[in-house]
Amino acid sequence: MGNSFLRNLQTIRYLHNKCSRKSYLFNHTLFTNSTGGQKTSVNKLSKCLNLQHIAVRCMSQNSSRSAKHNQSVIIYICAAGIFMLGMSYAGVPLYRMFCQATGLGGKAVQGHDIDKVEKMTAVKDRILKIRFNADVASSMRWNFKPLQSEVKVLAGETALAFYTATNPSDKPVIGISTYNVVPFEAGQYFNKIQCFCFEEQRLNPHEKVDMPVFFYIDPEFVDDPKLEHVDTIILSYTFFEAKEGMKLPVPNFMAA
Amino acid sequence: MSTQMTFHGKRTVKPPDKGSFPLDHEGECKDFMVKFMKCLRINGQENTKCREESKDYLHCRMERNLMAKEDWKKLGYHKVENQETT
Repeated sequence: MGNSFLRNLQTIRYLHNKCSRKSYLFNHTLFTNSTGGQKTSVNKLSKCLNLQHIAVRCMSQNSSRSAKHNQSVIIYICAAGIFMLGMSYAGVPLYRMFCQATGLGGKAVQGHDIDKVEKMTAVKDRILKIRFNADVASSMRWNFKPLQSEVKVLAGETALAFYTATNPSDKPVIGISTYNVVPFEAGQYFNKIQCFCFEEQRLNPHEKVDMPVFFYIDPEFVDDPKLEHVDTIILSYTFFEAKEGMKLPVPNFMAA
Repeated sequence: MSTQMTFHGKRTVKPPDKGSFPLDHEGECKDFMVKFMKCLRINGQENTKCREESKDYLHCRMERNLMAKEDWKKLGYHKVENQETT
């Protein structure tokens, strides 16, 4: 663009010089009063002026075209920037919808499980031992322990177990718990129907409370080759203290 | 607390299906709980033999509004079985 601009300028200057020479000649012929000379010089002058006029118009067109071109480029770049910004904001709900649709990232169907409890049958030939473990965070003042050290269940059978928690302090304490299943591969077969985890539980001063866990082991546990020799599963709960007004980072499935 | 990002394959920390039990602050169902624990102790910690007692405990909770009322079948208690497993 720059080159053509310069070239146009040079052309105009050249033509201007030429035309001014021609006009000088025309004036000269007027002065000398030679009609023949006048006619040719008039023609030449007019041609020159025309050319000059065309060159000027061309250049102005070019410059306006390039200005328009610049403007459209800038508009496109701005639009692309805004689009990128919009996509980064839209990404969060879009990703969530995608996960719910395809079940990636573990947001698996929860509705299924309730039907499964109804339809499953216990696998009678294999007894599984569930051991219980209880922990508290170091700053947590509750006394938390399981009421039974182990329970023998069958896969596909719903079972009940109890923990107990005592608040020995003089102030009400709010706790929230999470759990863990060992061995790791058994964790996916461990389904809790109802328990006391992931929600705040409040204990008044000197209060003792029983906390049940109602769960079952998926009957597909017996079909898993990795768990062929696994007969003991350890369920471990840990209680943390939740301070009043403190916003805990709850897992995604609780936020819904 | 483990979040969705730390999964090796299927997630193992799942929310409970029916949510959280409200706390039994008054100990209303404590007797049923004690009966269940006794039964476990007698029967060598076998859950299969104490299903009646666990059913009683859950029934107590349902009556006192400490648990959402639910069909027994949906909780895995099928009546069409022999005495041992009901």
